[in-house]
Amino acid sequence: MPTPAVETDALVKKYPKVEALGGVSLSIEPGEIFALLGPNGAGKTTWISIVCGLTTATAGTARVYGHDVVGDAMAARRIVGLVPQEINFDPFFTPREVLRFQMGYFGVPPSEARIDELLAAMALSGKADVTSRELSGGMRRRLLIAKALVHRPRVAFLDEPTAGVDIALRKDLWAYVRRLRAEGTTIVLTTHYLEEAEELADRVAVIDRGKLIAVDKPDVLLKKHGNKRAYFRLAEPLAVPLPDKLRALGATLDDARTTVSCPIEGDASDVLAAVAALPDRVLDMRTEQPSLEQVFLALTHSGSP
Amino acid sequence: MNRIGFKTLLVKETRRFLKVPGQTIAQPVITTALYFLVFGFALGGMVREVDGVSYVRFIVPGLVMLSLIQNAFLNTASSMFIAKMQGTIVDLLVAPLSPGELLGAFTLAAVVRGVLVAGIVWLVAALFTGFGVAHPGWVIAFALLVAAEFAFFGLIVAIWSDKFEQLNLIPTFVITPLTFLGGVFYSARMLPEPWSAITRLNPILYMVEGLRYGMLGRSDVSPWLGLGLTLALSAVSGAVVWVMLARGYKLRA
Repeated sequence: MPTPAVETDALVKKYPKVEALGGVSLSIEPGEIFALLGPNGAGKTTWISIVCGLTTATAGTARVYGHDVVGDAMAARRIVGLVPQEINFDPFFTPREVLRFQMGYFGVPPSEARIDELLAAMALSGKADVTSRELSGGMRRRLLIAKALVHRPRVAFLDEPTAGVDIALRKDLWAYVRRLRAEGTTIVLTTHYLEEAEELADRVAVIDRGKLIAVDKPDVLLKKHGNKRAYFRLAEPLAVPLPDKLRALGATLDDARTTVSCPIEGDASDVLAAVAALPDRVLDMRTEQPSLEQVFLALTHSGSP
Repeated sequence: MNRIGFKTLLVKETRRFLKVPGQTIAQPVITTALYFLVFGFALGGMVREVDGVSYVRFIVPGLVMLSLIQNAFLNTASSMFIAKMQGTIVDLLVAPLSPGELLGAFTLAAVVRGVLVAGIVWLVAALFTGFGVAHPGWVIAFALLVAAEFAFFGLIVAIWSDKFEQLNLIPTFVITPLTFLGGVFYSARMLPEPWSAITRLNPILYMVEGLRYGMLGRSDVSPWLGLGLTLALSAVSGAVVWVMLARGYKLRA
């Protein structure tokens, strides 16, 4: 069995007034794109911070490719790249200089070819030689991504990498993340955009209040916790109560009494037969595929990821 | 050891202050040159000589030490504090840089700035007082050690501070008063008791007098005592910064 790219065992982080992590054990395989989801304050950033050496765990262990992040910290850090959640920039230097320094900190000799490649991938080539102060918020976020990747880390932690990045560039970044994975980089990301996790992640972990709630492939989570729904629009408001047969299938009627929605679990024939038996004509129907958002809400009973 | 990382951080920290030379080099040189003109020439007529040395020459080592202390301290203090406030400290904390490498690179860059500014101050003063140096070895030893000591001190203050106000507390209430009362403009022997004895409790006096011995060949106190004291202070403050960096005090949550 290959050494996990990242492995945490019963990781605990306690602050004086709050327990940010309550014993999180996770194992991420080499070459995976792994998404961490959870409401604000769930402990996602704390978990990443411990693995990247920015925060010290109260208990438990964390290893990157077998290197303990405390006992063998330098070896662990050499192979890690981090896009922090908070945007930071050094107003004294240009993106090109910043990337050159970042490579150096990781013990990698400067390579202008590598810097140009990343600047181009992050759509920053035109801003390579202006001071970072002149970059927009989205550009600063992309510079953070370039900084995290410039030394070719084996594991890249992207803590909300696309927050504030417009939709076209976000799609470009997704393509770049897939390319990195194809090159063998393991990606761990947190995101507020659930479609991002759905689109990219091989596996998803849901964390809530410092505890791990679920870890699985998105399609397995969708199957376990998500529902496909059908919506039927009626010609007139339904004059009679919703028939028991439909109620038994989990159907509901909207306030205007013109739309019946019903979960579809496996076979849709029963639902279609029950709707056909309604006294009103059905003008239209649509189905909604289960989404990670539904799964997220079902698992955390909360708002934003 | 991460040689490339250490060298990169040293280059970055040096280039940081060279990017704003008006603020980091010209301004302190002009301020110190003004002290030299006002105290040395305008008021110098009131104290013609100290121990057979003209007053203008007497104050040169003090002014050189003043700029050395202030610039070495400011370089590490402002760089570390700004990195903390702007969040760029994360770049260093996630990198495979050991506490010793971080400490060494920050300190060496501060020593470069301190010695550079102090060297320019000395050159400007030497145009008026002459370029002779009595004991160059002592000058180099004190310049390097004192710059390192105050670079360490700058790091301690910057790591400890959470607000700009705290950052300014130590230079305003400790370093500047101790420097001005540390024999920059006068000899401890010129003071009546108990002020002469009190002045001798000020560690900066021994640094100023050590440099004065190196430059002029005369001193109120033994340069060996000054060297020993500066070495001891440097060792203690260097160890304190190392522990702070190794434990991640106020850096790693």
